[in-house]
Amino acid sequence: MSYSEKRTIVSILVGIVVLASYCFYVYGKVKAGVAESDNIKFWAGAMLIFVGIGIISSIIIQIVFHILLSMSMAVREQIATGQSDGKKIEKMIASEMVTDEMDKLVELKSLRVGFAIAGVGFMTALIFAYLGHSPAVMLNIMFVSFSVGSIIEGFSTIFYYRRGVTRG
Amino acid sequence: MAKKDFEITNNIRTLRFFAEEMTQQQLAEKVGASRQTIIAVEAGKYSPSLELAFRIADAFGRPIGEVFEYKKLEA
Repeated sequence: MSYSEKRTIVSILVGIVVLASYCFYVYGKVKAGVAESDNIKFWAGAMLIFVGIGIISSIIIQIVFHILLSMSMAVREQIATGQSDGKKIEKMIASEMVTDEMDKLVELKSLRVGFAIAGVGFMTALIFAYLGHSPAVMLNIMFVSFSVGSIIEGFSTIFYYRRGVTRG
Repeated sequence: MAKKDFEITNNIRTLRFFAEEMTQQQLAEKVGASRQTIIAVEAGKYSPSLELAFRIADAFGRPIGEVFEYKKLEA
C-alpha cells in the first residue's frame, strides 16, 4: 500500500471519528433537553467546534502518521542493511511522498464525488427547509452531508488508486 | 460513457528487465513520478500524460513508440 493510500485511510478514519463524536455529542444534548431545534446559536457553535476538532486532529494525526512512517522505514532499513543511514531514509521518504499527475487526477476525480454528495445534501437541506422543518434540521443535514461527502471522497480516492484512473 | 475503441499497451516491464532489472522505484525516481504511478502505468491502469510518457521513454533511451503502443480495437 502506498503512502497516498495510507494517508487517505487515516483521513477517512479521522472523518468517521469526528462525525461519530458529533452525533454522540448532539444526541446527548438533545436527550438532556439542552439543544432546542430553534436554538441556532447552539447548533452553529457545536458544528464550528467539531469542524475545528476535525481540522486540528487531522493535522496532528498526519504529523504522527508521518513520524511513524519515518520510524518504520528506519527500522526496515536497519533490519535489511544492518545500519540506518539518515540521508537514505530522507530520500526514501521524499520519494514516497512524491505527488505527481496521477495523484492530481485521482484527487480531482474523488473531489468531484465528494462535491456531488455535498451538493445532494445541500439540496435535501433546502427541500427540508421548504417543507417547514426547523433550521436545525437543515443545518444538520448540511453538516452530515459535507462530512459524509468528505469520507466518500476518501473511499473514492482509494478506489481510483486500486482500480486505476482514466482521463475524461 | 462511450466504450473505448483503442488500447494503449506498454513494454515497461521488458525494458526494465533489459535495463539491468531496474526497479519500479528507480524508474519512478528517474522520471519524477511516484512508484504507484509507475505500477499503474505498467499494469495499464493509467495512461500517462505525453510528457510523462516521453520521460519514461527517455529513461530507457528508447523512442516513445518502442515503449508505448496504440492499438485500435475491432468493433
